[in-house]
Amino acid sequence: MAAAKGSLPRYIVQRVLLIIPMIWVLLTLVFLLLRVAPGDPVSAAVGGKLDAQAMAAARHQAGLDRPMIVQYLDYIKGVGTLHFGKTISDNRPILDVIRDNGGATLTLTLGAFIFALAIGIPLGLLAGRRRDTVTDAVIRIFGVVSYAAPIFWTGLLAVILIAPLGWPTYDIASPETKFLVPAHTHILLVDALISGQPGAFTDVLQHHLLPCVTLGLLLSGVFIRLVRVNLLQSLKGDYVEAARARGIPERLVIRRHAFRNALVPVITVIGLQVALTMSGAVLTERTFNWPGLGNQLVKYIDARDYTAVQGLVTFFAIVVVIVSVLVDIINAIIDPRVRY
Amino acid sequence: MASTGALVLSLAACGSSGGGTGNNASGSSWILGTTETVTAMDPAGSYDFGSWNLQYNIFQQLMVVPAGETQPAPDAAQSCDYDNPKQITCKLRPGLEFSNGDKLTSSDVKFSFERNIAIADPNGSSVLLGSITDSSNPDKPKLADGAIETPDDTTVIFHLNKPDTTFMKVLTSATSSIVDEDVFPADKELPDAKVIGSGPYKLAQYKAGEQAVLEANPKYQGDRKAKTDRVFVQYFSDPAPLKAAIDSGQIDIAWRTLSPTDLNDLEGNSDVNVLKGQGSEFRYWVWQLGTKVGKQKAIRQAAAYIIDRDAIAKNAYDGTVKPTYSIVPPGFAGQKDSFKEKYGATPDVAKAKQLLKQAGIKTPIKIRLGYTPTHYGPNTVDEANELKSELNGSGLFQATTDDAEWERYQTLYKQNAYDLFILGWYPDFLDADNYLTPFIRDGGFYGNNYSNPKVNALLDKELGETDSAKRDKIIEQLQDIVADDVPLIPSWNGQNVAVAGKDIQGVEQTLDPTYIFRFWMISKKG
Repeated sequence: MAAAKGSLPRYIVQRVLLIIPMIWVLLTLVFLLLRVAPGDPVSAAVGGKLDAQAMAAARHQAGLDRPMIVQYLDYIKGVGTLHFGKTISDNRPILDVIRDNGGATLTLTLGAFIFALAIGIPLGLLAGRRRDTVTDAVIRIFGVVSYAAPIFWTGLLAVILIAPLGWPTYDIASPETKFLVPAHTHILLVDALISGQPGAFTDVLQHHLLPCVTLGLLLSGVFIRLVRVNLLQSLKGDYVEAARARGIPERLVIRRHAFRNALVPVITVIGLQVALTMSGAVLTERTFNWPGLGNQLVKYIDARDYTAVQGLVTFFAIVVVIVSVLVDIINAIIDPRVRY
Repeated sequence: MASTGALVLSLAACGSSGGGTGNNASGSSWILGTTETVTAMDPAGSYDFGSWNLQYNIFQQLMVVPAGETQPAPDAAQSCDYDNPKQITCKLRPGLEFSNGDKLTSSDVKFSFERNIAIADPNGSSVLLGSITDSSNPDKPKLADGAIETPDDTTVIFHLNKPDTTFMKVLTSATSSIVDEDVFPADKELPDAKVIGSGPYKLAQYKAGEQAVLEANPKYQGDRKAKTDRVFVQYFSDPAPLKAAIDSGQIDIAWRTLSPTDLNDLEGNSDVNVLKGQGSEFRYWVWQLGTKVGKQKAIRQAAAYIIDRDAIAKNAYDGTVKPTYSIVPPGFAGQKDSFKEKYGATPDVAKAKQLLKQAGIKTPIKIRLGYTPTHYGPNTVDEANELKSELNGSGLFQATTDDAEWERYQTLYKQNAYDLFILGWYPDFLDADNYLTPFIRDGGFYGNNYSNPKVNALLDKELGETDSAKRDKIIEQLQDIVADDVPLIPSWNGQNVAVAGKDIQGVEQTLDPTYIFRFWMISKKG
């Protein structure tokens, strides 16, 4: 135990320090990829309107005609001093974009995870208990289909089915709620709760349901399969046999012994799924017109907005790394077998 | 899982208040949904529909184009007149105020133009102010010395650096919006949420990429009185959720941009009206005269004989666009269907064949058609394929199509990658010149290598001609030359289309070629 305690802090420090070169490599790759791709922020914005001379003047104004190395060093220097700059296409500070839109992605992904776990774990458990039955087969097929089905297809189908029922199908809240609720935390769900505006919190929650269920379905496919496999493995363990031999009812054997041990790898996978969730969030946000960072990222990619894309990709990367480290820590705490 | 299910049920029990028209705080507000994006609220920072449409509602200009009309009418100015082709004098209405109570004077007007030129935002539209700009130092453009004179608080005199009869129309555009010199910085843009103007609405809230909330400006003075206290504009990143939102009544109006398929589908919804007004969107095929094929006039004219615009409108756009036979859209002063006069309204393959034979050109002619698949909407692919089949069907051409995404497309068409390529256009202001100078002066903005000294001379002449009848004649002449030289082939004009709930009034009146969505004209029953 003393060895585990000693190695975990060192592991955490190493992981945190590794963020810096990782971000630098990522930034450099994104910088190069964006510039290799055809077009630039000026051509995306006013191409088709201005002649070559006017476009050249606009590029000059935007500093896009400077040597690549100068642009690169300028940008890296800015990031190093935590000046992420402003978007080129709509002149917004990058940090403002993250602040104003990050909350929507946060609540969407958290909500999706809640649904994914709420759907995936019980179904995985049921499939494991009813192994090789029709129930097992149906649940496994459901898991595969929900994972494989494209999110935008699932989302559009959900919209077509749900919209006639009067359920909100787009955005994070009604326009009035967004207008009346002051931004304190910039997480609208929280701001609505603390605002005291009647109906605001319910309104925001209602708007969350469809996108969270859609994204949650994608994730649930992973958890169904994972819980099922891990449960089946746990059920083969000696300690389970011993429990059965002591005459403990099967349902208690599963609940108190096999199931808990089957959940440990799920925690690890949750961390790994953060990256999947974020990429899924991009498509989900697009489908439901959700005002999150994913939607903003696509918008800025369309606009060839170099600084915006670089800034947002960096932010996503930092989030993924932080969540991964946290998951490793939790893993080490709950599973004494884990060593770093 | 049980607790999640309980949550869902409890929310469902709260009813369907999440969207729909019953969501409005008061009966006097309505919700507009659009896929347009806003670059900047500051007039110095934008050159796009999304930004300009908010600016038309928040700011005043000296002159405006009233709904359904084409000629400027007073707004902040009670009059603006040409003293000569290089000078315009405007008299402001007395007692104008910004929404914050600051007085609006001639000094604000001058300041507005001066800062727009000086800021020279790459995303901005200061290029439209060329007639009052000193560009001797390209790195620091500025208002030309003496270009704007303000002898008193209500008089503004523009001294243009060249005869320019379109400048009056420029004064109606959002680039000429009047800003408060005590609020807006002279050398940079004001943050979006802080903009104030003197227009019929003021900005109450702006969440970038999400929504803008406008409230009626009690200090507005002019003819554009708001009928609605509060307007919500919601921004959609994709047409699919926009269509779903208007279809299910979650928004009151959807405007720009729904596909022809979506519009046809919405025609079947008894809760909404699909409203169409005259538009000025222009789609055209440009010849690249730098290629072996493009530089031969007989080939260009032959293709002009063959193109079937009706088939394009029907097969590619479900009949939602109107064939056009001129570089200048119908309704503009001086407009003339020159291509119809010269080539007829329907295809004439025999004449095309004869023309090519007389020119000694062997057929079939290999020709590369270029298009961009997403920038102008997915139906562009259908139009390109339709034109290809028309050309190939004549037996005179062997057409192939090639496409590239917008950013790359803009480079490729200048590099002779295509013989004939498609582009689209929206006017900056409602004047025939805005369909002429950008296209046919020295290769146009698209660099197609077309240059005709006679055309350039006529363009200079019409820009300096103050007699409208004479100007119209020059414009007609230009259209005839274009029809003969065929540097481009006009294809269709789009309509200005919106979808609105049955309880919404005033939308149809604002759908005109300016594409200004006049919030002040619109109201909701109940």
